[in-house]
Amino acid sequence: MSGSKRKEVITFSDYDSRGARRVEAIVRTFTMIVTIAMMTLVLFLLAYLFVRGVGSINWQFLSDIPRDRMTGGGIWPAIAGTLWLIALVSAFALPIGIATGIYLAEIAKPSRPVRVLRVAIANMAGVPSVVYGLFGFAAFSLALGFGKSLLAMGLTLACVTLPVVITATEEALKQIPNEQRQAAMALGCTRARTLGKVILPTALPGILTGAILGLSRAAGETAPILFTGVAFFAPVATDVMQPSMALPYHLYIMATQPTTPAPHIVWGTALVLTGMLSITNAAIATWRSAKRRKLQW
Amino acid sequence: MFERKPIVAELTTPKAQLLLIALFVLGVFVLTFVTGCGNADETSSGSASTDAPAQGEDLTGMLTVEGSDTMVNIAQAWAEKFMDENPGVMITIKGGGSGAGIAALINDTVDFALSSRDVKDSEFEEGEAHGVDIVENVTSYDGIAVIVNPASGMTGISLDDLGKVYRGEITNWSEVGGNDLDIVLIGRDSASGTFAFFHDEVVGADNDYSPSMRNIKTNMGIVSEVTGNPGAVGYVGMGYVTDDTVTLEIDGVYGTVDHVLDGSYPLSRRMLMLSNGQPAGIAKAFFDWIEGPAGQQIVADEGFVPVN
Repeated sequence: MSGSKRKEVITFSDYDSRGARRVEAIVRTFTMIVTIAMMTLVLFLLAYLFVRGVGSINWQFLSDIPRDRMTGGGIWPAIAGTLWLIALVSAFALPIGIATGIYLAEIAKPSRPVRVLRVAIANMAGVPSVVYGLFGFAAFSLALGFGKSLLAMGLTLACVTLPVVITATEEALKQIPNEQRQAAMALGCTRARTLGKVILPTALPGILTGAILGLSRAAGETAPILFTGVAFFAPVATDVMQPSMALPYHLYIMATQPTTPAPHIVWGTALVLTGMLSITNAAIATWRSAKRRKLQW
Repeated sequence: MFERKPIVAELTTPKAQLLLIALFVLGVFVLTFVTGCGNADETSSGSASTDAPAQGEDLTGMLTVEGSDTMVNIAQAWAEKFMDENPGVMITIKGGGSGAGIAALINDTVDFALSSRDVKDSEFEEGEAHGVDIVENVTSYDGIAVIVNPASGMTGISLDDLGKVYRGEITNWSEVGGNDLDIVLIGRDSASGTFAFFHDEVVGADNDYSPSMRNIKTNMGIVSEVTGNPGAVGYVGMGYVTDDTVTLEIDGVYGTVDHVLDGSYPLSRRMLMLSNGQPAGIAKAFFDWIEGPAGQQIVADEGFVPVN
């Protein structure tokens, strides 16, 4: 704003300039306070979770099944169930989502069907997760006959995750400067080779971040699995046609259902779920920023 | 700046086509692999639950149980102990409410439905329409105790008057023989089977709970509320009653195990495990075990009334 060129065109009186600076200072202070408040809130939340939950975490809690009418034992079947779901969602949502994102960003020509596809994806992202649950129950549990099973849950969660993965892939690809494509082709690369050797590797950190965010969301969802196979109590599943426990649902039932409250299990479960997702997110963020430094343009 | 051109043209090169085909095949492979092996296992576990050997031999297979939220805790305790004794058996338990369990049984997606209320005629009919023969297996009984704070001066009440109290037509304990104290109504939340049972039996199916009733999420919450509030009245499963409250006689009958069993106590109900036809295979083994001493001990521990 205060560049010398600007000054030739617009002249502030001393008063105006002082007023503008005051406004600027107020805005700066305000945004800073809001930022600090947000960070404090998040830190407080994590610290509170940690303080309440850390006492329940021990080897038995992580490795045993629930015992004594859900008031004792551990949460291993719920942890295993959530890991199962993450694996299934990765298998379904990542290949389809990343391929769709590549298609939209790099291959598709602007046309009516492609516009419709984009609108459909945007709408998918806006559908409430409980509606996905109902859809999954009708489509996967009943129509396709998967019943109440990990497979039905995984497919339903994959639907929840797909728009996140597609959008992240598309955005990551679009952020790559066109000069990179031009440079690769100037050196004689075909477009497919440019995509495979230059564009995808550069976009990979962005794509993976989107994928992990999508998976995190899936792992924390309760509504989509409510109808499609999550169990109050079940042993660790050995194949995908079995129902299974899952961490977010376990948290919900332990907070609302038991005849004898067991708060240590509720807080422990919350900490394990949050911890699992935070560690994954932090790991991917670290990896991404390391990759970014190497790929600067 | 010139436009970025789509690369469709380049996808006709052999290598790019190969890549696309590989991606497609990978997707198809993942899908068929997962569904394929899953389906194979579904049939094997399905047949295991019907053809499994009777008790005494090694039991293997899978059972799914769904229904009453009042019963999921006791069902978990049964499943935990039964699986300890029979490591080859996997039992899955899901809540959702008696109605949800019965619906699942009618859809034939579960082996047992937990129900803390009787099956309605309409549900029997719907089952028949789906080729499902709903059989009621009684696991235990539950008596609902009506508890008041000692300050009310009450020791008993008629079912009729209790209905008036919960409809809000009687608002002071002095109207039903107690001290001059305003009545504070405490009840369960609407998701509770106990809420529905008490509504049908006491308030009346065509009437509503008084809007002044405070809804509390747990049985234990009701007990502590009645303990701390002089005018309060509440209802809980018999197993939750403590010495800090007074349990009312209903129509002159005190809610004891004997009175629940002989049917003279009006606020008692059956805790059912519904099956499609008579239980067979490991389902029969599981239900027989529940009826046996180990299962009934858990019934008593959980605060319900054993069947014998």
